[in-house]
Amino acid sequence: MKILYFALLRDITHKKEEDWHQPEATLGDLLRDLVAQYGHEFEHWVLKDGDLWNLVIILVNGQDVRQMQKLKTPLAATDSVVIFPPLGGG
Amino acid sequence: MHGWIGKVLRVNLSTGKVSTEPLDLDRAKDYLGARGLGTKYFCDEVDPKVDPLSPDNKLIFAPGPLTGTYAPSGGRYNVCTKGPLNGTIAASNSGGTWGPELKFAGYDMLIVEGKAPKPVYLWIRDSSVEIRDAGPLWGKIVPDTQDAICAATDADAKVACIGPAGENQVLFAAIMNDMHRAAGRSGVGAVMGSKNLKAVAVRGNGSVTCADHEAFLAAVMDARQKIQAHPVGGTGFRLYGSQILMNIINQVGASPTRNWQDGFFPNADKVSGETLAANQLQRPKGCFSCIISCGRVTKVTNPKYKGEGEGPEYETAWGFGGDCGVDNFDAGIKANYYCNEYGMDTITMGSTVACAMELYEKGFITLEDTGGIALNWGDGDAMLEMVRLTGVGEGFGKKLGQGSYRLAESYGHPELSMTVKKQEMPAYDARAIQGVGLNYATSNRGGCHMRGYTIETEVLGNPVFGPKVDQHTIDGKPQICINWQNLTAALDATGSCQFTTFGIAADELAAMLGPLTGIEYTAEDFLKCGDRIWNLERLFNLKAGFTAKDDTLPPRMLKEPIKTGPSKGKVNLLPEMLPEYYRLRGWDENGVPTPAKLQELGLSA
Amino acid sequence: MAKMLMISADKCTGCRNCELACSMTHEGAFRPTATRVHVYSWEREGFSVPMMCQHCRDAPCITVCTPHAMTRDPVTGWVNLDQQKCIGCKMCVQACPFGNSVWDELTHEILKCDYCGGDPACAKFCPTHAIEWVDDVVATRTRKRAFAEHFKIAFSE
Repeated sequence: MKILYFALLRDITHKKEEDWHQPEATLGDLLRDLVAQYGHEFEHWVLKDGDLWNLVIILVNGQDVRQMQKLKTPLAATDSVVIFPPLGGG
Repeated sequence: MHGWIGKVLRVNLSTGKVSTEPLDLDRAKDYLGARGLGTKYFCDEVDPKVDPLSPDNKLIFAPGPLTGTYAPSGGRYNVCTKGPLNGTIAASNSGGTWGPELKFAGYDMLIVEGKAPKPVYLWIRDSSVEIRDAGPLWGKIVPDTQDAICAATDADAKVACIGPAGENQVLFAAIMNDMHRAAGRSGVGAVMGSKNLKAVAVRGNGSVTCADHEAFLAAVMDARQKIQAHPVGGTGFRLYGSQILMNIINQVGASPTRNWQDGFFPNADKVSGETLAANQLQRPKGCFSCIISCGRVTKVTNPKYKGEGEGPEYETAWGFGGDCGVDNFDAGIKANYYCNEYGMDTITMGSTVACAMELYEKGFITLEDTGGIALNWGDGDAMLEMVRLTGVGEGFGKKLGQGSYRLAESYGHPELSMTVKKQEMPAYDARAIQGVGLNYATSNRGGCHMRGYTIETEVLGNPVFGPKVDQHTIDGKPQICINWQNLTAALDATGSCQFTTFGIAADELAAMLGPLTGIEYTAEDFLKCGDRIWNLERLFNLKAGFTAKDDTLPPRMLKEPIKTGPSKGKVNLLPEMLPEYYRLRGWDENGVPTPAKLQELGLSA
Repeated sequence: MAKMLMISADKCTGCRNCELACSMTHEGAFRPTATRVHVYSWEREGFSVPMMCQHCRDAPCITVCTPHAMTRDPVTGWVNLDQQKCIGCKMCVQACPFGNSVWDELTHEILKCDYCGGDPACAKFCPTHAIEWVDDVVATRTRKRAFAEHFKIAFSE
């Protein structure tokens, strides 16, 4: 699984991307393990009260998980996961 | 009066007459200020068939009631006129500190009429208004113009001016203020140039007052707190600017690439907000009363592209990035500096160069046309030289200065111009985000994202109008589009900044307007002002000669699917959304506001 | 321990919220020319600096003030201006080495920061902490320490 990080998540993980080899059944499982790895600051920008923050943008193979099953979105080993903290512009 | 000053300044450059008149409070109540009231005054005074570059066109500089107060990020003004790029109503919006200064000088609006016999600039010092010779200034780039005028008037004068592009009537010339801020779109700078007006310098010793300061302060603190608590309004913008969009828009497959031939740019990260923050960013900058600080003070040290200034914004980085296939960020930022110095709209400029690159790729333009410069995709130096030539008005730049539609049309291929109503679409692919396409097609000034920024609902998920919706569906998009268009029109009319929508919306804006002006607005009243402004603009365009046939998208958006990336295979389904849009707007099937709709809003046909 | 207004110009974005808060607090209206704090911006470089009275210990404005309108409060250490005693001679404008005593051409009064009586509005309104109302030991407690940390980081790499 390939994970891409953007904006201040790059400062928190010190990475732009990584190959994630641990099997993860769902997005929730993946985030739980990422939080374990990168700590509270990572969690702060991605989860709110244990649930996916509605302003966080996570794409699995280019599709927004908020249009799928959010934390229950199933993941496959060949998926590409892209994680953005809340952001905006115009 | 409170919030408003109560006075309008009128300058006729043909006769040299300077006069003031009381602000019409009835119109101010219904149209607020800035884009709303400026457009209303314009529509009441100017024939929609006027030639935009003739002396009969007018140029109205209008801040709003919130401008000049500490309403968060409430320091903006609009330039209202008929736009020469495409003949629609134009209300170009700018930040910085110029707008508030006009109010401190004692005016809600400056209406410029006629044409000066030779180049002049206005020096407004409270009640003293001089029309001064601008001969020595004509030809100067924007920073030098500002410095020269401050030296001749007041060190703290706020200056709105044109550069050589406006003087040469480049059809997308901008009016620049505070050196780096732009009233960018629609060619308002060319109108100013056509009037031989180089600049308007203002210094004010007066005040903006409040009807009920305690209530106003409470509403302001509430709005500030909400914006600061929002991760984007409070943190994201200050860290990365609007440029943070580059990667997300690309990752959802909506980054128009190589003149919209595709929707995904593999090297987007090289020209992203993250890269800007790591490399060229010096510090954030805020407009007047702003708490968001999205402005980017930047510097390029690479000797080949050396420069300093502000920007780029997202659209600019895209126009001089993926749209031209360029990942040379320094070249793109230098192109942004050129646009600020010469006074040009970066979106139209970038998209026009991209159009030229496609015409060149397909052999419709030759090296002879371009003066020997090969316009290859990805060549940042060629792109930069095209921008410079446009700014100075030389060589192929003279043709580029007409915008992409006239350029492409002159070579027999107008379908290669990525425009709606002849104004270039900005950095969101309409095939990847359905509501974006509907907004482009119906925007009252042609291709524009700011007129109805549905991206907040379709991609970002900012819950102003409910939860995030799928970018690829069309269900519900007409109403979402209308919601954004109406809110934005009203928000623009207050003098506030669209980025406050990351934190607040109609409720909070109405809550500030009431105690400031002494006139109560509910959120519904406020949004109705927006609806009224939208319909007023629509009526002007219809009378100017636009019809429902112009509410469309380039054939590429409707017929050529995106080739790669997460939105591969998509086209825009505008024909399925437009009829419902008209119906929900209260318009007939030809997109004309019905008598019932006009009556509801207090408009006459 | 006394308080002071700490200016961090590197954090200033030039938004002038401080000017608006100051003029509303003192004048009841938004009039940036009537403020006691002014922000100066250099547009080419994109740098801004807020400036206000520094309440000097050895204040030249007090020395030159013949009607004793400018005085030093023995408890707080602030330099206070009594408008009732001020004769508008503008000697303080000449004497202040920083230019922080300003003549208002509209009201014919001297404008000088008074710390809003101990709760400065500018510090409350500044969105980026470019102006902070802090204990006057901040120089050693935070700013000097913050810079010292650069050494710690450099030596630990």
